[in-house]
Amino acid sequence: MKKYIVPVLVLLSLVSVSCSSDDDGMSEEKLEGTGEVSLTFDNGFGGNDLVLNTANTANANGEVLTISRFNYIVSNFRLVTKDGEEFTFAKDNSYFIINQEAGEETVELPEIPAGEYTTVKFGIGVDQEKFQQGAEGQGDFLAQAEANNMMWSWQAGYKFLNFEGTFTSETVTEAENFKVHMGSHGSSLDNYKEVSIELPTNIKVSNEMDSNIHLKIDASKILISSTSNIKFSEQAVIMVDEVKSPQIAVNVTEMFTVDHVHNGSGHN
Amino acid sequence: MRLFYLVYIAIVLVSCSAPKEDYVENNELLEFSVPSNFPEPVYPIDANPPTKFGFELGKKLFYDGKLSSNGFISCGFCHEQRTAFTHHGHQFSHGVDDKEGTRNTPPIQNAAFMPEFTWDGATSHLDLFPIIPITNEVEMGETMGNVLLKLNADEEYNGMFAAAFDDGEINAENFLKALSQFMVMMVSAESKYDKYSREEEGVEFTALEKKGLAIFAQKCASCHSSDLFTDHSFRNNGLPPNPKLNDIGRAEVSGAEQDKYKFKVPSLRNVALTAPYMHDGRFGTLMNVLNFYDSGVVNSETLDPILNNDELGVKLENDEKEALIAFLNTLTDENYINDARFAEY
Ligand code: HEC
Ligand code: HEC
Repeated sequence: MKKYIVPVLVLLSLVSVSCSSDDDGMSEEKLEGTGEVSLTFDNGFGGNDLVLNTANTANANGEVLTISRFNYIVSNFRLVTKDGEEFTFAKDNSYFIINQEAGEETVELPEIPAGEYTTVKFGIGVDQEKFQQGAEGQGDFLAQAEANNMMWSWQAGYKFLNFEGTFTSETVTEAENFKVHMGSHGSSLDNYKEVSIELPTNIKVSNEMDSNIHLKIDASKILISSTSNIKFSEQAVIMVDEVKSPQIAVNVTEMFTVDHVHNGSGHN
Repeated sequence: MRLFYLVYIAIVLVSCSAPKEDYVENNELLEFSVPSNFPEPVYPIDANPPTKFGFELGKKLFYDGKLSSNGFISCGFCHEQRTAFTHHGHQFSHGVDDKEGTRNTPPIQNAAFMPEFTWDGATSHLDLFPIIPITNEVEMGETMGNVLLKLNADEEYNGMFAAAFDDGEINAENFLKALSQFMVMMVSAESKYDKYSREEEGVEFTALEKKGLAIFAQKCASCHSSDLFTDHSFRNNGLPPNPKLNDIGRAEVSGAEQDKYKFKVPSLRNVALTAPYMHDGRFGTLMNVLNFYDSGVVNSETLDPILNNDELGVKLENDEKEALIAFLNTLTDENYINDARFAEY
C-alpha cells in the first residue's frame, strides 16, 4: 500500500492546484466544450499593405519590388494554454496555403478544446515527416499545392514560399524579374522552419467563443532580416541556392507578428 | 525467398468477414516477397500494400497516354519492358511535342529497394515521383489536377478506382498509390547471377564469368555494391562534363558546390539491355564504358577519391574487360523482361 501514497498525494495536489487556479479570477467565465481558432495572415511589405503588381517603397538596399505573387505554406499548428500545455491540431489537416493572388488569407482550426491560450506555434513549409508519408500523407494537399503554384515539377517537392515579381535598384534601372522559390532540397537540405509567437492578449475558446489571431506579415523580411541581407541586384532568381535558400527559410520566420486578437464577439 | 506481409493477409481476412454491399469481386493482397539476396525494402509496403486491383489500375495508368498533355506519351512510352523499362535507342528521351529531355531513361526495376529517384535524387519517395514526369514540360507536360479530371470523366477508371480502394475516389492519393503498387511489384531477381548468388541448384558460372565477378568485386563493387549493384550514393565517376548540357547532377537538387557532377550510382541489373549508358547516354556499348573507366576518367574537384588512387580510373587489361562483360551479361533477367504481369499487352 505504502507505495501508492506518494503518487496519490501528487495527484491530489495537482487537482487542488488546478482547482485553485479556476478560483482565482472571480470574473472569469467558465470555458467549456470546443471552439474555433482562426488566423488571419494580413500580408504587408515594410509596414504598408502588400498590393500585388504595385511598386512598394524601396527597401534598405534601395531596391523597389513590384510583387506579382506571394504564396506560402503554413502548417503544424499548435496552441499553448496559459498552463503551458501544448495542444496540437490534427497533423493531417494542418497544412494551409496563404495565397495573395487568390485572396486566401485565413487558416481555420475547428474544435479547439476550450481554454485560454497564450502562444501559437506553426511551421512554414512541409516537414520531412509528412513528405515521407508518401501518397497517403499528402492526401488532397498535393492537388491543392499544385493548383496554387506550390509544387516544383523538376523535383517532386513543395515550394514553401513562392515570391515573384520585378524590381529596380540604383544599378538595375529597367525592371527585371525576380523569383524566389524556397523549399527543401530533396533529401539533402531541410528548409522547413517553425515559429512560436506569443499573443499580446490570451485568446479564449469555448462552445460560445471562437477567436481570431490577426497576424501582420512583412514580406520585406524575406530579403532583409536580422540575420541576412539579400540583394536582388546580385542574384534575382533564387531556387536551390545552398547558401541563400536556407537564409531565406530563416528570414521568412521573421515575417510574422501578431497585430491583435479577437475573442468571441469582443475585440481586444 | 522470404515470405513477407502474411500479416496483411490476416488483416484482410478479418476485415472481409463483414460483408460489404455492392460487393463485386474480392480485392486481394498480392504477395510481395523479398529475394533472399536482397536487403530489406525501403518502400513502406505497410502504408500501401499492393493489391490485385490496385496493381491492375497502376498498370493501366502506367501505359495510358491520358497522363500526358497530348494524350500519347505514357510512362511506358519511355520505359519499355523489353529493354528493362528504358527508352530503347534514345540517348535522351523525347516527350510531348517531341521535346527532348537531357537525361537518359533509367530502368525502374527494384524501385521498392531504392531510397532516391532520378539521376540526381530529385525525390526520395516513390509515391511522389510520378509528379516529375507528368508535370515536366519535356516529358508529359500535364498537371496532376488535369490528369485527375480526365480520369474522373472516364467510366472505366471510375470502376477501377472503386475496386482498388476503399474510398474509391479518383484523387491524387489513390492515383499515386496505384502507380506505386505497380512499380513496387517490379522486382528483378531471377538473373543467372541471382541464382548463382543464391546457390540455386544447377546454376554454374563459366570460368570467364567467375573471373569477371572477381574483378567486379575488387574494382567496381565499392560503388556498385550489394546485389542491387548500387550503394545509393551520389558520386562523380569522372565523366568529362558535356558543356552543351552542363548537367551538374546532384547539385541541381542540393545547390551545393561539392555535389557538382555527382550522379546516382546506377544499379547494373539488366545492364546488357539498357544501352546507351550514363546519365546522358553518352556510351553506346559496355565496352565503351569499360574503356572509359580504364582510360577516360578525368580529374576534377568532385571526382570520387576511389577513382583517384595513384592513377585516374580503374586500369583494366583487355582480358579483364572481356571477363567483366561476361559477368555483366549474367545480370540480365529474362523472366523480368518477359513477365506478363508487367507487359503492356
Ligand atoms: C519522356 C520520357 C519519360 C516518360 C514519359 C516517363 N519517364 Fe520515367 N524517367 C525518364 C527519365 C529521362 C528519367 C531520369 C530522369 C532524371 O534523372 O532526371 C526517368 C526516371 C524514372 C524513375 C526513377 C528511376 C531511378 O532509378 O531513379 C522512375 C521510377 C520513373 N521514371 C517512372 C516513371 C513513371 C511512373 C512515369 C509515368 C507517370 C514515367 N516515368 C514517365 C523518362 C520518362
Ligand atoms: C567511384 C564509384 C564507382 C566505381 C568504382 C565504379 N562505378 Fe560505375 N558508375 C558510377 C556512377 C556514379 C555512375 C553514373 C555516372 C553518370 O551517369 O554520370 C556509374 C555508371 C556505370 C555504368 C552505366 C550504367 C547505366 O545504366 O547507364 C556502368 C555500366 C558502370 N558504371 C559499370 C562499372 C564497372 C564495370 C565498374 C568497375 C570497373 C564501375 N562501374 C566502377 C560509380 C562508380
